Amino acid sequence: MILPPDPRTHLASSTTRAALRLQRRILDSVRAHLTGLGFTELLPPIIGPVTDPGARGAKQVDVDYYGHRYKLMTSAILYKQAALLGFDKIFFIAPNIRLEPLETAATSRHLAEFHQIDVEVAGASRDDILELLEGLVSRVIERTLEAEAATLDELGRDTAALGKALLSPFGRRTHSDAVDRLRQLGHEQSADAEIDWQGEVLLAAEAEQPFLITDYPKGSRGFYDRESKQLPGFLRNFDLIAPEGYGELCSGSERENDYGKIVTRIRETGENPAKYEWYLKAVREGIPASAGFGIGLERLTRYIAGLDSVWQASAYPKVPGVPSP
Amino acid sequence: MTRKLTAAGFPEDLVRARARSGPAAAMPDLREYGLAMFGASDTPDPGARDMLDTLRLVPPVLMPRRLERLIDLGREPLYTDVALDTEIGGFSSPLPFIISALGSTNLAGGRIGNAVARQAGRRGIPMVIGENVVPSAGYGRLGEADHRSLRNRIRAYCAELPDGWGGIAVQQSTEDADAEVWNLVYSDPTALALIESGRLAFELKLGQGAKPGLGGMSVVETADGTAAVGQFTLDPVFGPDASRVLRSATPGTFTQEILHHQIVLMRNNFPQARVWVKLPPGRDIAAAAGIAWAAGADAVTVDGAEAGTGWAPLSFMNHVGLPLAECLLRIAPHDTCCIASGRMWEGTRAVKALALGARAVGLGRAAFLAADEDPEQGLLKLLDCCAFEMQLLISALGKYVVAEVGREDLWGLPPAATEPPPTPPPITIIDSKEIP
Repeated sequence: MILPPDPRTHLASSTTRAALRLQRRILDSVRAHLTGLGFTELLPPIIGPVTDPGARGAKQVDVDYYGHRYKLMTSAILYKQAALLGFDKIFFIAPNIRLEPLETAATSRHLAEFHQIDVEVAGASRDDILELLEGLVSRVIERTLEAEAATLDELGRDTAALGKALLSPFGRRTHSDAVDRLRQLGHEQSADAEIDWQGEVLLAAEAEQPFLITDYPKGSRGFYDRESKQLPGFLRNFDLIAPEGYGELCSGSERENDYGKIVTRIRETGENPAKYEWYLKAVREGIPASAGFGIGLERLTRYIAGLDSVWQASAYPKVPGVPSP
Repeated sequence: MTRKLTAAGFPEDLVRARARSGPAAAMPDLREYGLAMFGASDTPDPGARDMLDTLRLVPPVLMPRRLERLIDLGREPLYTDVALDTEIGGFSSPLPFIISALGSTNLAGGRIGNAVARQAGRRGIPMVIGENVVPSAGYGRLGEADHRSLRNRIRAYCAELPDGWGGIAVQQSTEDADAEVWNLVYSDPTALALIESGRLAFELKLGQGAKPGLGGMSVVETADGTAAVGQFTLDPVFGPDASRVLRSATPGTFTQEILHHQIVLMRNNFPQARVWVKLPPGRDIAAAAGIAWAAGADAVTVDGAEAGTGWAPLSFMNHVGLPLAECLLRIAPHDTCCIASGRMWEGTRAVKALALGARAVGLGRAAFLAADEDPEQGLLKLLDCCAFEMQLLISALGKYVVAEVGREDLWGLPPAATEPPPTPPPITIIDSKEIP
């Protein structure tokens, strides 16, 4: 495991500068694409009385807010749903903090501080949101290949491999199909759980194009992912997995917006629903049905730039467990 | 040393004697040897309180298992040949004991809590750390140097833990979920060695023996309690002018679906941790245990109505919940790992619980008292005494491995329970009609 060097060395390195130039291009492309489709960019909240409890194994950071225990956002999912009370199509470029389990320091894919391209659309189905996701990622790759050829060359990125993302629609497989495939490969993967870090890498290594894993089992995700009516026990959600071994880039879902179901699902995560008071009040009074996703910006940068590790895509990287500036 | 602990209704003096003398306390007073004659009393045991006390262990005369052991050894087996080590919820333990949850009350905190943890760790006995420790005493990072903290308990336990033995199960209740206790432990460097060696479990607590249907209770100073407003319920039951109030945690709402999915979520979120589930002595305990095992729990702890170290209403202590023996009869654990707790402090109740299907038993009040009697050796001596008794009892049954003890070794069971029931089918279908 290679850890980030000191800040001076890291910030002055040509690799860091190239990666951050690419990241700026990615952000420009995202904003141009989504704004062109009529999305409103909102500035995300940083703290709140509750945040996304769906992050597997990660610890939230408590903040003393005038004597109330507030949280730094692990993701702004609850606020995305609420934002649809004002706008039908929104996105954030949102900072997230997750004190990930120490084992994730070695995955090359985890940062304790990172950013998400957070998108939510009122009234959208999973198919609608997947079409939007695929269009967005494809456009970003296309634009980067056009405008940053020199930077990609400087980074030694295999642009032919990257360009394969644009050749055909992204493939889809269900979670249970992915589990079967991993077991064929000799990897022990629980059918009840998210695809584990190593499993994602194995599946990603077999692929030449980004692909989607859909229909995760209930219990493997946050309470806000809607359960399928046709397939009880499975969720109307998805992950986008980058090829060439890069792994998960994005998670998303159709969202639950039924009050009784949300309260029950919160109990299934072991929590007292009382702490979600503001959110449950909004849900009880009615929030739009929706679908959305969050793309890890540093992970997307890593994939497009062809970097060994996600920390190379951050100016101030915080690898889980490693004290950093 | 100041003795502060008492345990009404519990054989406190006998436990303290064991904590002082170890195995010697399992025998009659040595000073009477050669002078006094012993034998059964002509009255029923006045200390008998429940079915586990009234059942008798009944050795056979003809012992094929003893012959097997004799052939193995090439000599007559002795009680010292009984192997007591076992696997408990994914951990290896030298004895079929765990140290039951030490909760957040002042009893469990500080000196005694850490003394118990240190001795349990030294012997490699699995230990449960109870609910509400983090909300009450903090975790122990960033200057919260509270000696009652969860982190201090873990450190004390790990200080002399032998390689390959033992492990810690950290409970989380609904209130703990707010403090994200499991996430905190799972991402903390103090617990890393336990995680990497497969010796960390998370125990989902559905309730407890002393007060099934209620959440955890403690008494707090009014000034301390105000900090917990919103998270706990504070009730001035001791009078409007009293300086202390009753603090209650919620018991949490469970249905088949909720229990199943909470366990699945634990396995998803903490793949390197074992999953334990603690059940109160409810009338549907067999169904609840079945759901827990089917969802992948590594151990189910059954807290009989006789159990509990914590503060509980008097009405509940004597009138609410199934007795431990009845819980075990209903569950009939078979090959699954079931841990039984409820007034455990010596060998006979432990062996009877094992005969009813438990894999191990939990020491709660007894562990506290022993550590209170001698913070350095008390619990270790109590464990030595229990082990000595269990070896005597199990060898008398003609068996030499703890797992071989069974219902055939008991006399006094209700007629319907003499034969173990058939293995129940696994629960795979969850009743979705429960969802509102």
